[in-house]
Amino acid sequence: MTMKVHKVSSWSQHEQRNTTKRHGKNKWRKKIHSLDSTLLSTSVGTANLEQLIPKREKPTLKLLKKLYTKPIPENSCAEERKVMATSVTFAHVHTNGGTELDDRNSSVDSQEWSEYAKCVLQNGMESSTLPKTNQMEEDGLHFHAHFDHTHNRAVLVMKQGQVLCFRGKCLLTCLYGHVEVLGFTIEEGQQPYPLFSPPSHCPLTITALGNNAPSGKNKKEGLLEAKAIVRKYLSSEPSKKLMSELDSDSCVVLLEPLDTPLTRFLTSFSELSEIFGLNSKELKSQAAVYNPVLSAVGVTALRGPCAQGLVMSRSYREAISSLLSAWAGEFDRCPIILVCGGKSSGKSTFNRHLINSLLHANVEYLECDLGQTEFTPPGCLSLSTVTEPLLGPPFTHLRDPEHMVYYGQADCQADIDRYLESLKSIWRHVNGESPVIINTMGWIRGHGFQILVDLIRLFSVTHVVQLSFGNAPQCQLLTPDFLRTAHGWQTHPPTPPTLTEEPVSHLSIRSHVFLSVQSEFEGAGTSGEMQHQRSNELRDLALLSYFSKLQSPEPGPIRPLHCFIPYQVPHSAVAIGVTHCEVAPNNILYVSNASIVGLCCLSEKVVGREGPVVLSQTPICQCVGLGVLRGVDMARGLYFLVTPVSPSVLRHVNCLLLGEITLPKILLTKQHGVEGDLPYVTTDYSFEVQGAGKLHIYKGLARPGFIKSTN
Amino acid sequence: MKKKTVGKTRHVVAWMNKAEYEHVLEYLFSKEPALQKHALHRISAWKGRFGQSTPVAVDSTADLVRCQVLDSTGQLEANDLVLLYGMALVRFVNLITERQQKRVARPLRRLAGNINIPEWVVNLRHDLTHRRLPSLKWCRKGCGFVLDWLHQEYWSRQMGSQLTEDWNSSSEEEDEEEFAKRHEEEQLRRQKEIEAHKKVRELLISYEREQFQTYEELAKQRGVWPDASADLSWILTQIKHFATEARDVLIDVLMQDGFLIPTAEQLESLDIDPSEDSVDMFAPCLPQVFLHFWLPCLKVLNSSIFINLILDKLFAELSNEPSSHRTYYIASWISEILLCNSKSELKAHKRLKISKERIFMNRLQFPWQNLISTCVNAPCPATPFLLRQILSDMDKPLPHDAQQNLLRLCSIYTQGYHENTSPGPSDPTQPVYTLQNLQDRLKSNTHSSNHAPRSVQAPPTEDLQEKLSAETVQERNFALRGSAWSVCTDKVPWKQYPLGKVPGQPEDPSCLMVECYSTFTVFDQQVELDQLPQHHGNRSGPLQSRAGGADGPLWTHSDLSKLKAGLQLF
Repeated sequence: MTMKVHKVSSWSQHEQRNTTKRHGKNKWRKKIHSLDSTLLSTSVGTANLEQLIPKREKPTLKLLKKLYTKPIPENSCAEERKVMATSVTFAHVHTNGGTELDDRNSSVDSQEWSEYAKCVLQNGMESSTLPKTNQMEEDGLHFHAHFDHTHNRAVLVMKQGQVLCFRGKCLLTCLYGHVEVLGFTIEEGQQPYPLFSPPSHCPLTITALGNNAPSGKNKKEGLLEAKAIVRKYLSSEPSKKLMSELDSDSCVVLLEPLDTPLTRFLTSFSELSEIFGLNSKELKSQAAVYNPVLSAVGVTALRGPCAQGLVMSRSYREAISSLLSAWAGEFDRCPIILVCGGKSSGKSTFNRHLINSLLHANVEYLECDLGQTEFTPPGCLSLSTVTEPLLGPPFTHLRDPEHMVYYGQADCQADIDRYLESLKSIWRHVNGESPVIINTMGWIRGHGFQILVDLIRLFSVTHVVQLSFGNAPQCQLLTPDFLRTAHGWQTHPPTPPTLTEEPVSHLSIRSHVFLSVQSEFEGAGTSGEMQHQRSNELRDLALLSYFSKLQSPEPGPIRPLHCFIPYQVPHSAVAIGVTHCEVAPNNILYVSNASIVGLCCLSEKVVGREGPVVLSQTPICQCVGLGVLRGVDMARGLYFLVTPVSPSVLRHVNCLLLGEITLPKILLTKQHGVEGDLPYVTTDYSFEVQGAGKLHIYKGLARPGFIKSTN
Repeated sequence: MKKKTVGKTRHVVAWMNKAEYEHVLEYLFSKEPALQKHALHRISAWKGRFGQSTPVAVDSTADLVRCQVLDSTGQLEANDLVLLYGMALVRFVNLITERQQKRVARPLRRLAGNINIPEWVVNLRHDLTHRRLPSLKWCRKGCGFVLDWLHQEYWSRQMGSQLTEDWNSSSEEEDEEEFAKRHEEEQLRRQKEIEAHKKVRELLISYEREQFQTYEELAKQRGVWPDASADLSWILTQIKHFATEARDVLIDVLMQDGFLIPTAEQLESLDIDPSEDSVDMFAPCLPQVFLHFWLPCLKVLNSSIFINLILDKLFAELSNEPSSHRTYYIASWISEILLCNSKSELKAHKRLKISKERIFMNRLQFPWQNLISTCVNAPCPATPFLLRQILSDMDKPLPHDAQQNLLRLCSIYTQGYHENTSPGPSDPTQPVYTLQNLQDRLKSNTHSSNHAPRSVQAPPTEDLQEKLSAETVQERNFALRGSAWSVCTDKVPWKQYPLGKVPGQPEDPSCLMVECYSTFTVFDQQVELDQLPQHHGNRSGPLQSRAGGADGPLWTHSDLSKLKAGLQLF
């Protein structure tokens, strides 16, 4: 242990050296550049070796932290460290010059880096102990902001390197300098971006990158400009303190309260009133920083261990940077990136980060995860073109995809063939000019793993990012070598494995680059236990978010679903089918009434004689959105449907698919204004009664070894 | 003010309402294959709604009933049926005990025993999975037993049903003799009850006769009510004796017209004006004479159990919405009893002058909370009046605010008695039904006596009902033109219709059954791998899967299953 501490202090001696940590990535780029399939297995080995390094250093950091009574939040000292020219050099880090890519990436900074930096810093001022660090903590957490009452908005001045880790929501405009949020850099002059940081996910951080375009401007001019901007956006004279905080390297951002139909709709439910508040853990550890200006715009700054933001491991950053360089033209094909990993291994966050980093051009996103979808309600497979950054969890940025197929269930185990066929039909709509990110399910065992093998083959994936956590990977690594012999669900290795000699060179041309990422954030691999973190709650949030599009954009009363004027269509004009189970056709309306339906378009014309047109099997067809079949008029033979899909699209719908994706319960149990009993809602159902619960599966039921089986 | 359970959580279930649940329950256990099949079809829809949260009991019942239905067709051989029954039984035993499993597996026999599943059923399951297949006879027996078990343990207990007794009477195992015996017992009991009723009536009538005589004498002499005569004492002893034996019957009879509720004739003979104009419906009070008439009888009956029972009975009668005459007297009696129990003894003394005139002396403990709820559950014009009495008498009074709110709500519901100042609603033609009405009412109350015509009043500011302008509707319909879709233009207040309900929809659980339907089969839905776009065209070599050509079959498994699914044999 002492030796390691010594090692840390030795780094501090290099402090003055003018190299930056981002060079670590360049080495990686080089490596990937020179990558060829024969070397792949060895390079994987290196990656693993390198992953060990951060792990080894962890105890040291903990030890150092213990020297202080309070842990120091990284956003204070860590970032200062950055300003002071970070010079941490590793024996294995090359020091070549940075590129424009690295500039964008310098924000891709993290936990470990800041921790290293912290160590160095702490070593540098060993004598100054408690009081000094406390001082620093306060400095780092003191956000200089001014609230403008007339316009109901706040101007926040951030020192270069300062980090605001927060819960809540707001609309952010960068007025001066650059800030970075989840891999996306926002510059002055860009449009306002909505930020959502609900307790369901890792909190967002706004990192001030400073003003790195000082060409032709000296510091003084910069400062004057910044001051002018601050004054311009405030109707009253800002406080001296705020102005004194300003310098040419500062960032100035405008924060406005965010009030959208989505936020209004969600918070109209008492169960979700705290959906933009703090989670229970943050409340318990009193992580909120009191700042009246920030809270006026709906932002609560966090401190302490809860204010970590996104934790990026070394392998994580390296993977991102190598993918960036692949897109930058250093790879001979437009990248098709498949991201996989077990449940809660951080796929979704990695994807968002990657998308945000790649967003200087459009990115195509193929959703293969049915449960936790990024842009659509659950149960849908889709292809989306992403043009806007993703600055919040999925339910805050639902958007219409390019192409979508309604699968109807939150997992694909019931019909793997239909799942794969659906994806193939979607793949036809990939335009081929932008990088494609393929998100996959957390199901990585058994058939789930076979599906991954299929996806890599079917879509000729160029990069596979496999996220894992803990000491052992959750499944076999999907390396090109492994793919050579692996059997998928539909696809199989091309040649019998006995003829190994010849086809190797042939195959190597098309093999993919394999990137292994070790997730090191707290709680990796364990699904969220806190409120709004469970997967079914997130699915409900996504559905609520989808149906919030019905609400009028102008502020006004929030309307429950049943208050909307429905569309109507004759039973005989649309086909109807159930995707997930067999339902007696004469009872079809019992399953569809007050249910969610996928609004689909069959190429064939649907003409029924009389009564409903029941599908004999589930078709694979385009889905344009979801609706709620709010009622059935038996006398006139009409379906009544409530949907946010626009009428010009709805006109093409001739097929309604029912799935296991059910209406969020609160949409049924809370229907204001209704007199009398609510259908499908009861207070009399008792779960005390035997057999009243759903199928209960005990995984890993242990057999008592010493007791002989009862049979 | 109707019985509405506030604290209970709302669950989402697959049946639209209780009627649908009971409909399926009835058909499932009807022993009539056609009806059972009907129920199974409905359950298939329920499973579609429930998805993965289908209750285990519903699932198991459906499987077992399906076996019985298939068995009844007579088209399956015994060996086929054993397999069918077997799967249903194995699944039942495993699934129903699954909930009880903890970390370490425990023997099924013990788990089943905890929930009254006998060992032979568990053994049957073991035979099915590990040993020689049991005979069809055993399977049928097992299925019959398990279905009865499910009927009793799940179906009859669910949804607040109290059908356990019914279940016993319809039990398959019950033999004729048993049934006849029970029937006989039942008849005997009823007979006894009728006898008792007769006797009590006679007793009370003789009491009334005796008391009336006393009254007539009294009227001549203008004196006070004398102590009980010998005859009366004898009758009273009889009544008292009876009260211990058949209290319920006595209370029942007292509640009938002509006893505690006087007929018009009786009132006239007691020189009381029977017309309703003479009384204040909002503040009922027993005529002194009438109270005195019954006092001797009630005094002998006075016990805390009796008083509580009669109070319950009075409220129960009140909730049946009796005639206004009955309502008035029932409310009067309630008021009288409450008054006797009043905390403010002094006040009561003043009013009644002598304690002799009270039904009972010692303050009783009423179940106050219950009393409030029974009182509001039996709304009548006098409810606010009674409620006020109860509230002021409670041992642990409710907070003042709560009292006021309760009283106000109560007044609104019963449409009258506004505080002491303004009796009657300010405008009886505008009953308060909705929040909007209430707001209007409050408004008009604040501008007291300034009754603005309804049309002038501001329209509701917050209406949840979506309103589309004619242009929007036109725009949408234009966009939909040429398709089968249109915006619903019926003048329907949708906000009153919850999801799953439309105007004119009957409550009948069969209202959504489809009589005729057509089947639609979609062909040509598969995507040929070869047709997949080649990303960037710089892909070399053939695709790895099906393109392998000669190596494997031309059609994959999935293709074949697709083809099969598309086939229609008839």
